[in-house]
Formats: sequence, structure tokens, C-alpha cells
Amino acid sequence: MAELFVPDTLGEAIGFLADHPGAALPVAGGTDLVIDTRTGRARPEWLVDMSPLRSLAGVDLDGEVLRIGALTRIRAVELDPVLGRRAAALVEAARVLGSVQIRNMATVGGNLCHATPSAEMPPALLVHDAVAEITGPGGERSIPLAELFAGPGRTTLEPGELLTAIPIRVPVSAGGSCYLRQTVRWSMDLAGVGVAASVEVEGATVTSARVALGAVAPVPLPVGEAADAVVGTELTAEAAREAGARASAACSPISDARGTADYRRQVVAVLVARALRIAWLRATGSWPEGVPAPVNGVFRRDDR
Amino acid sequence: MRIELSVNGDAYRREVEPDITLLDLLRDVLGLTGTKWGCLTGDCGACTVLLDGEPVVSCLQLAFQVKGREVTTIEGVQQAGGLDEIQAAFVSNGAAQCGFCTPGMIMAAEALLETTASPSETQIREALSGNLCRCTGYNKIVDAVLQAAHDRAGRAGNSVSMQPPGRESDGLRV
Repeated sequence: MAELFVPDTLGEAIGFLADHPGAALPVAGGTDLVIDTRTGRARPEWLVDMSPLRSLAGVDLDGEVLRIGALTRIRAVELDPVLGRRAAALVEAARVLGSVQIRNMATVGGNLCHATPSAEMPPALLVHDAVAEITGPGGERSIPLAELFAGPGRTTLEPGELLTAIPIRVPVSAGGSCYLRQTVRWSMDLAGVGVAASVEVEGATVTSARVALGAVAPVPLPVGEAADAVVGTELTAEAAREAGARASAACSPISDARGTADYRRQVVAVLVARALRIAWLRATGSWPEGVPAPVNGVFRRDDR
Repeated sequence: MRIELSVNGDAYRREVEPDITLLDLLRDVLGLTGTKWGCLTGDCGACTVLLDGEPVVSCLQLAFQVKGREVTTIEGVQQAGGLDEIQAAFVSNGAAQCGFCTPGMIMAAEALLETTASPSETQIREALSGNLCRCTGYNKIVDAVLQAAHDRAGRAGNSVSMQPPGRESDGLRV
């Protein structure tokens, strides 16, 4: 049975984790770690409680940069009005993660550091140019978020290092983003395919774009060449289809209970086209503010 | 680790091991067995309680992190006069069959009505999407929450909606 260390400061937490490499694990919301310890997937000798480090929770806007503390709960992202207006992909990813109960517990940092390939938050953060701010025994460093992920369940964090914040870029105007996913069930399910897209426009013309995928590669996958397909266009159906085809070619899904590899590749093509289109509608002011996209991008008769 | 917490308004002080969950604490230490031991993976919602007013799955909530916080369980929702509106509506709508999911369903509904006095059917289905029922089916549960919202608005003297509760024709799949 694990023992507990409750730090007063970030420095104490880092010091303890560095002194107990492999034996001490940080615990925030616990929604993954408690299950992992029950199943034997994780066997920590020490749990380091993150909950006293309250300064790592919360969302802070400064111009075009919005800093999300690693201990911010998923539910807080879902309900944040600034994110709703300026980083819709994040809100859409948050609102389909687990259940209300899970979202009240789980944190953004935990969702990233557990490094599940199908995690909801990474693609949405990646299309907002997210950075991972890391503090460790050697001081602070920042890396592009994509470089945090090493493989399923593995990050590039060194012993003693903690993810502390995730700054993202939120364009003041003329930007839009979207997160869509394919699942077997509408809720309480992991993504079979997760797709995030963002665009910035001048008038109706796309000046820059991002596409990122979840659940179709060992790590969350930014696909620059897919995004490039719509730059300079007015997000025509043809450009969106080309972006989808490129994303489909770039991913490397596996076959499992949530779909075959072939099926997932086809879903990627469709969802990338839809997500880009919705992001463009938002960027051009043609999408009602604060209204989330349907989970898979298609309105059903009973959506309201 | 010694923690102090409030459960349904009562203060407790207990010694807890680092790996015991709030569910273990409630059921095995405090003897509050209304909260159910279901899947233990956070999927079924049978163990839902309110932590500082927000619904959480107590099977994944480590007990030491509840230090200094306020917990509400199914034992804490009844009013002085008996059942509260949500409990009463579950009874009158036949929204329980085996009843195992009911405490979690009611706690999730309590949290919803606290923030959304007059929820739509879609909002109810989303709020309860983390609570699985394997026998009643969800329609009567949704009916019960609609009814409870209506009854609670009436009790508070609000005129939120003069419409009697009724389900919309096609619901969100949960």
C-alpha cells in the first residue's frame, strides 16, 4: 500500500518526486491513477498529493495567450465563458470527456500526463498551439505540447518534473476552432477518432490552419500537411476534402473494439473536413457564439 | 492521515489510509450505505455523491483529498417532512426498479437542479449520462427529474414554467 506525501509547495513536490524516481507518483484528480493502482498497472510506493498546489489551478487570459493551470478541472474548462468564445475546441473536447462526475474530478494536466492516445484534450490544445510548461529539479522549461507525448501511457517528463501549465494561443478575432469525435456511445466512451481543427481568416480566406488527431496514432498527432491544404482557400468543400484525405494518410490507427483501422481512416477524412468547416464558420462569424458543435459535427433532428 | 470532513452537515474526524476512497469511508467507516458500490471504475455512477455541491464518483475520490470539504450523500437529501421533490418524483413516476442506481441518479439530479432550475430533457440526459441504469430504462427517470424541477419551482413560488412536465418527443441517446 502506498504512503502519502503532502507537499506545501511546488518545490517540495518536485524534490520528493526527484528523490523517489519510479516509486512516487503525483495524484491530482485520481480518476486514472486510482483505477491504475487497483488493476496493478501502477504500483506507487508513494502518492504525492497535488491538491495543496492551488496556484496550478485556473485559467488566466493575457492578450492572445490563455494559460491553463495543470490542475484546472475538465469541468472548469467546459464551463469557462472565455474559452467558449475563443477556444471552442477545448470546450467541445471537455464536454464529451467522461461524465459530469469525472469532469468535476479530472484535471487537464492529468489528461495530458496519463498520455492515453485517445485522450480528448490533446488534439484540442494542439490546434491552439499549446505549450507544456514544465518545472523540475533542473528548473523550468517549455516545449511544444506535441513533444510531451512519447507513446501510449508515456511522456517525455524526466523524474521529478511536473507539468505546471499549458499556455495556448487564442486569437482575439477572426479565429475559430472545433473538436469532433466518433464514438460507439454518445457519452461515457473513449474516442474512436478525435479530431480538432482551427483556422484564422482574413475576410473569408484562411491565413493559417491547424489539424490534430486523437486515437489514431500512438500519440496525439498534429497534421500540418492537412491544415496546409486549406490555407489560401475560402474553405471550399474541395479544400476540406483534400485536408481530410491528407490527415487520413498521415494517421496510423489500430483495429480494436472502437473500430477497425480502415474504418478509422475513413472517419478521420470525414471529421477533419467537418471540423475545418465549423472552425471556418466560427472564424468568419457565421456560427452562433457559444453554441457547441454536435459531437460528430452533424445536427440531428432532436438537437436543440 | 487524520482528516476532518462534513457529511450531510455532520462533522467527522477520522484517520484514513492514503489509498482508501471516499466510497470506502462513507460505507465502511461511517456506515452510510446509501451510496452504492458499483463498478469501481467511475463508469456507472452508482457511487455519486456531492463534494462541495458538485457531483463526483466516490469510488475514484481518494478520501484524504476530502479533508476540510463538505460531502452530501443520499442520506442527506431528505427534507424534514420526508422525501425531497426528486425522491418523491422517482417514487411517483416509477423511476426505480431494482433501485441500485437510484441514489446516484438522485444525487446527479440534485446537482443539476441546483444550477438549472428548469432543465430541458436534453440537459437532464446529459447531466445523468454518467449514471447507468440496467433495468428501469431512462425515460421514467427523465420524467421524474422533469417532475421534480416543476414541483421544486412550485414550492419556491417561482413561475419558471406553467407548463406541466412532459418529455420531448425524441431524446438524446445516452
